[in-house]
Amino acid sequence: MRLTSLLTAATTASAALLLAACGSSSSSAPASGASSSSSAAGGATTSAPAATTSAAASGKFLACMVTDTGGINDGSFNQTSWKGLQDAAAANPNIEIRNIQSIPPNTDYARNINTFLTQKCGIIVTVGFAMGDATKASAGKNPDQKFAIVDNSYTPVIPNVNALVFNTVQDGFLGGYLAAGMSKSGKVATFGGQQFPTVTIYMDGFYDGVQYYNSKHGTKVQVLGWNEATQKGTFSGDFTNQTKGQTITQTFISEGADIIFPVAGNVGLGAAKAVQQADAQGGNVNMFWVDTDGCEAANAKQYCKYFITSVEKGLDVAVKTAVLAAQSNTFKGGNYVGTLANGGVTLAPLHEWASKVPAALQAELKTVGLGIASGQIQAPTKSPVG
Amino acid sequence: MERQSVSGMQLELKGITKRFGSLVANDGISLSVTPGQVHALLGENGAGKTTLMNVLYGLLQPDEGEIHIDGKAASFHSPKDAIGAGIGMVHQHFMLVPPFTVAENVTLGIEQVRPGGLLDAGRTRREVRELSHRYGMDVDPDAIVEDLPVGIQQRVEIVKALVRNASVLVLDEPTAVLTPGETQELFRIIRQLRDSGTSIIFISHKLKEVQEIADTITVLRRGKVVGERKPPATEADLAALMVGRDVQLRVTKAPATPGDVVLSVDSLVVPAAVSSVHGTPATASTQAPVNGLSFDVRAGEILGIAGVQGNGQTELCEALMGLLPVASGSVRLNGKDLTQATPRARLDAGIAYVPEDRREDGLVGSFSVAENLVLNSYDRKPFARGITLSLPTIAANAMARIKEFDVRTESPAAPAGSLSGGNQQKVILARELGEGTKLLIASQPTRGLDVGSIEFVHKRIVEQRDQGVAVLIVSSELDEIYALADRIAVIYEGEITGFRPPGVDAAELGRLMAGGTDLPNTPLPEDAP
Amino acid sequence: MSEPAGTEEPSSERSSSAGTFSQVFAKALEGNTVTVTVLAIVTAAVVGGLLAAFTNPVVLHAPAGDIIPKAWSVVAGTYVALFEGSIVNPHTVAAFFQQASLPTAVHDGFLGAVFNPLSETCVAATPLILAGLAVAVPYQAGMFNIGGQSQLIGGMILSAWLGFGVSMPIVIHVIVCVIGGFVGGAVLGWLAGEIKARTGAHEVIVTIMLNYIMAYLLAYLLSSPSLLQKPGSTDLITPEVASSAHLPQLFGNGIMRVNAGFLLALACAFGAWWLMNRTTTGFELRAVGANPSAARVAGMRVEHAWVLVMSIAGGLAGLGGTAIVLGTDFAVNPSNFGTYGIDAITVALLGRGRPAGVVWAGLLFGALTAASPGMQSQANTPVQIVQVLTSVIVLFVAAPPLIRTMFRLRATRARGVGTTMSKGWNA
Repeated sequence: MRLTSLLTAATTASAALLLAACGSSSSSAPASGASSSSSAAGGATTSAPAATTSAAASGKFLACMVTDTGGINDGSFNQTSWKGLQDAAAANPNIEIRNIQSIPPNTDYARNINTFLTQKCGIIVTVGFAMGDATKASAGKNPDQKFAIVDNSYTPVIPNVNALVFNTVQDGFLGGYLAAGMSKSGKVATFGGQQFPTVTIYMDGFYDGVQYYNSKHGTKVQVLGWNEATQKGTFSGDFTNQTKGQTITQTFISEGADIIFPVAGNVGLGAAKAVQQADAQGGNVNMFWVDTDGCEAANAKQYCKYFITSVEKGLDVAVKTAVLAAQSNTFKGGNYVGTLANGGVTLAPLHEWASKVPAALQAELKTVGLGIASGQIQAPTKSPVG
Repeated sequence: MERQSVSGMQLELKGITKRFGSLVANDGISLSVTPGQVHALLGENGAGKTTLMNVLYGLLQPDEGEIHIDGKAASFHSPKDAIGAGIGMVHQHFMLVPPFTVAENVTLGIEQVRPGGLLDAGRTRREVRELSHRYGMDVDPDAIVEDLPVGIQQRVEIVKALVRNASVLVLDEPTAVLTPGETQELFRIIRQLRDSGTSIIFISHKLKEVQEIADTITVLRRGKVVGERKPPATEADLAALMVGRDVQLRVTKAPATPGDVVLSVDSLVVPAAVSSVHGTPATASTQAPVNGLSFDVRAGEILGIAGVQGNGQTELCEALMGLLPVASGSVRLNGKDLTQATPRARLDAGIAYVPEDRREDGLVGSFSVAENLVLNSYDRKPFARGITLSLPTIAANAMARIKEFDVRTESPAAPAGSLSGGNQQKVILARELGEGTKLLIASQPTRGLDVGSIEFVHKRIVEQRDQGVAVLIVSSELDEIYALADRIAVIYEGEITGFRPPGVDAAELGRLMAGGTDLPNTPLPEDAP
Repeated sequence: MSEPAGTEEPSSERSSSAGTFSQVFAKALEGNTVTVTVLAIVTAAVVGGLLAAFTNPVVLHAPAGDIIPKAWSVVAGTYVALFEGSIVNPHTVAAFFQQASLPTAVHDGFLGAVFNPLSETCVAATPLILAGLAVAVPYQAGMFNIGGQSQLIGGMILSAWLGFGVSMPIVIHVIVCVIGGFVGGAVLGWLAGEIKARTGAHEVIVTIMLNYIMAYLLAYLLSSPSLLQKPGSTDLITPEVASSAHLPQLFGNGIMRVNAGFLLALACAFGAWWLMNRTTTGFELRAVGANPSAARVAGMRVEHAWVLVMSIAGGLAGLGGTAIVLGTDFAVNPSNFGTYGIDAITVALLGRGRPAGVVWAGLLFGALTAASPGMQSQANTPVQIVQVLTSVIVLFVAAPPLIRTMFRLRATRARGVGTTMSKGWNA
């Protein structure tokens, strides 16, 4: 709830900003193209207002999602997770889906989960590591209720929670390798939104990928904006301030970087703007997108020509799988880790860059990918997976 | 907009009735104002004077009755209509823009525009100068209004009305804010205006002034015209008309029988404060408002401190109550040094205080009468039991005090702010004049009160004296000093310029009030009766 | 002669002092009667309903003849969901009675489901009531406390630290933590009061700045493992408070989260009323608030009153934070202090500055909060519309003349013509 007082608009506004930043949770990324078309459908997913908790009576399986404060149109992990629910409903007409968006600033995840508990949902999907404790507490009190949680895992595992986490260090590694191979200036850069594990894991992977390329090719490509050893680097401070992203990117470009990898949600759009400007001034600068395929994301695809690739995280697939399993009574609790091997994380198609990335490099990427998947190549990270 | 020579205007109000809910503020008032006359409207506060003038000025619409100008009915829906018809009004609180110049204020709303849209400042300045000269008003068109003394600001208001061709000028309690000297100046201007054909409606509750200036006096009481008199009417007659009963204008009192010294003030210096209790900014002058003052007050006598307002009286009282810090000197009560004591300690020592500004310092307007009656004793027996308030005791106290002091209030629970000024003052007196009072300090105790209330307050103060309380009265009204004081001290720029016996003539007091010093042959202060 | 008190003729304008921050607040507060407040809520509900209806795609894309029924069903659905989400949902009642036996129904959480909406309303209202008191109480003493945020955070920090960092027997532990929460908030309130008393710095500025200071201080503490950060975690969160420090849940360990914090809030509201209206201290505080110079002349220690009332207010806001930490969240993170301290101003405004009013206002906003998830998931009311609804209520409450004009109510105070007619004191 947000009771903005007229008298203190300024205070509230700043507080809200501050909180939005803090509350904005674990991951970051633009939307996928598919979800943009589905967002309108999202508004009409549930039936008429009169249909309340009678889904069970109508025989439908209720799949309910508590999204974090960004909501289902955030162009980021909430939207991608919701797409997973929509895909599940599309795949099985017996599934009805519902959503509650957590509202900043006085966010109370437990209240939202409680509301779904009283609606007798077949599965409750919570999105974001910020909901980890609330989900755990509720799962403990309601052992018969099935849960799934995105971007969070538990040790020890909780039998009625399917924790969906993604080892994005692996595709981040591939991205770093590709960036090092494509850089003309010998400098690549990355920055994060905030120093959350789900952010820095990408940056660790990217950093390692560059080092791996250097060791293979005897090059000295440098990474600006992140140092895996010291775990220090550049962060924009939140996942929304595009101007900040633009400024950071301009700085990187002026320092000589020609490939930028923002891990900061919509802040990446600011980075794209800076890249576009540099391009207009004749600079040869490009970038990667993160979380989803930027060339198919509604808010990012206008910059597709600068996206060499996107470092993806398959939230939608994982959520869809979890929901379908719950509906068909094959639900399994415990932790699911998305990897290159199981397709939970991946590099997006090269799109316009398919012809520009040398075939040799593309082949090397495939080899490195297989090496990681098989465990021959280690992609270490200091960030816990999840 | 050159001011034309005034053509006299016959103004008549016929049967004006104005109601506010169940209250009839004006009840069939008829009034005829002859050109070239000063017509005084005399009445106590609440008699309906201001309401009537607001009707005349178009601020209020009458429920019944008509306004006639030169025999023709006129209706004013706004002040603009009234101004158009030649009516000017000087409110009690001026409607000036303080940071603007005199000329700018005068021209506000009727800006003279030269071809090309430029303000014709020169013309207004000429007009102001010309009017100022003609009526001896001494108003500089280029002066900034906020720098001017109140008396001059009032003249700016008059000029404003004259520039708008007012042939009837309404002055609402114009002397309330003026010193005696300024009042005389105003009267001189009023007479000149009258002689040039302007009609003046002079609203006041002060008998003396009305006697002095008016050609015709209409007395209002509770919304009705109760009589019309031509001077010289006796003050007693006018007062009786106003109040509705015979009023004692000067309390009778026995000669004082002074006892021991109760209050002893020695070489008191109060420096210019950064801010006083009210948070008013200090003046630029570095002169201490109270500058080495010494006097004694004895049990059973009233010392009256006379002086023009602003000569350190406020600071003196606040310093005596511990509300302002003292730089040097001492204050003793019955020999006990209270110079650095807190207000609380002084109250406990037996000082009762009737502050000058009763709304600001004397009462909490939003508190009930009952609460105000225990404002400085709420935390002691019998009004408190431990940390809780004893509401029944507080209520009983209120009933008793309201009765004893004849406070007119709907109920003890009514907010004190809703009471009339006289009744507010009664509440303060009822609170302060309790047992154990050794010293009563009363500053401007009857300011703004009507005749009936003044009589009441004066009686109570004399009563205290007769019970052996030492009384210090600070007043800028000479009448009040004469009425009460057993001994008169005159204050000028924070110093006492002389002590005089109560029979001294006003000219001598006036000399001292203007800074004149003691003549060698005047009696020594302590010899005064 | 029986002239009643109110017979002064309207005198001309008394003063035209600048409309400062607190004067605006005062105007809004004092202009509100119960009638105006109720009408404001009703009006807001109507306006909110219209907004909900005409922002809904179903209504917007309906054929012309179908708009009214569609709009009606959306509005009805919205308010049904509001009711069901905050008070009781008939479906859960029905489900309860459909169960085989009472014990199984209770055991399977069907009873909890019935009372969960009310429970959630109380849970959401708890910090709002406590923080609302932290605005209303000092307001009566003439202080405008914008520092609810900082004080709430102060309470959270201290109660959480006592909760996870100290071992104590049950019962005693939770009492110590609650007292700690009060103290944590009171220190910040005291600081603001002391700065004002000593230097004259306006408490509005001071408290706003303290809000920032505490928000960032908390962020720092949470990122420092040696201080408040959960050991071995990279998350910005404190360790969980020990279960001995939890505020007991009123209805067992089921779905219903309502806990002793709610009772604490009600007790504080009563305590605030009693303090302000029945004690000598309250008398002094109110006098200082209503007229500091008269209070000073009457021998009261004005600065002392400021410091005291701000300390009390800080403590109340601190308890609001405590209720969150020990009642529902059991840990502190950089966002769970929310904006309760700011929302509290609204609550105090709607509650007309009185403790009982604050309780009702807190419950009303608590209800809106509690119903919000249900309104989203059942009635498809967009999150934003729920927020608009609360803001619209505040708008109407903050502008009593608007409501008066709309309903042609007689002004309670001013009579006659506007400002020049304000009632004179100086008869």
